[in-house]
Amino acid sequence: MNVAPPKTLGELFFGFLSIGARSFGGVMPWAHRVMVEERRWVTEADFAETIGLCQFLPGPNIGNASIVYGKRWFGLAGALVAFLGLFALPFVWVLALFALYADFAATNATLRAVVTGVGAAGAGLFIGTAIKLGRVLVRRPAALILITGCFLAAGIGRVSLFVLLPVSFACALLAARRGWL
Amino acid sequence: MTLVELTLYFMLLSLISVGGMPSVLPELQRYAVDVKGWMTPDDFIQVFAVGQAAPGPNVLIASLVGWKVAGLPGALLALAAMCGPAAVLAWWVAEAWDRFKDTPWRRAIQRAIAPVVVALILSGGFILATPAAPDWRLWAIAAASAVGMLISKANPLWFLAAGGAIGGFLLA
Repeated sequence: MNVAPPKTLGELFFGFLSIGARSFGGVMPWAHRVMVEERRWVTEADFAETIGLCQFLPGPNIGNASIVYGKRWFGLAGALVAFLGLFALPFVWVLALFALYADFAATNATLRAVVTGVGAAGAGLFIGTAIKLGRVLVRRPAALILITGCFLAAGIGRVSLFVLLPVSFACALLAARRGWL
Repeated sequence: MTLVELTLYFMLLSLISVGGMPSVLPELQRYAVDVKGWMTPDDFIQVFAVGQAAPGPNVLIASLVGWKVAGLPGALLALAAMCGPAAVLAWWVAEAWDRFKDTPWRRAIQRAIAPVVVALILSGGFILATPAAPDWRLWAIAAASAVGMLISKANPLWFLAAGGAIGGFLLA
């Protein structure tokens, strides 16, 4: 497959704009479609590897990917342009949707109920994602203990992540070094 | 003053947001609802719902929290603060990370992060589905959409829509 990176900053901007504009129900499938299939900026393997890296870095995965690719092709200007292109439309839309919702929600109990239902379904998607990712991990007892412990601390005990993350990550790293994970 | 606090908080949150927005939702809910009282638990699930239903990266939930606390400047600053520090890190780390692809410590880090992120995402889902006292209706909707996404490849928007419809019946 022939791939060629975008030639101009404008092309980069509009590519990421079209990812953000269409990303109903999740950004990642659209990023793949635009960058790999439609515009052929990167190969399948390159895309998978970059996203894999961005998942291990803090911050929004796709936001980080826009920085990494923008930098690779156009340096600082590219990173900024790709990031702005990605967020420009979704930012406006989410605020518009929220403003619209806030206007009606004050007087309309049914709307609040519907939106709470959407929220609960979204919570379910998180739980489903955790199960999907966790299924393979929990075959190792150490991973099961870590997941249970972190869930009890964050979900039930409401421990601050600023405490929980360093502690749990240190434990996990120790376990990983001993080959338990 | 609130704006400064909001910005600083999201900048710190950005640096520990391994796994993205889903992993930090328990922490964000704890801070915005329990510590600061910027919103009620019910408001938080509403903000989350709008953020999930709108197109775009789910980090935009941060800008909705900012919007609720301090209007448009709050929304802009929250988003910039939530993405900025992580973006700077991505800028510096991406190539180095690539170079160390086959080193044992990189593999150890990757294996160590995975279970922690899974637990945090699970906690986020649990907290959102349990805004106050446990409510079987919210849990039922959450369970149904979790099972749905595990057994089908449909666009997640369908599950959000179905959750909204069921919510309209059960919760009104």
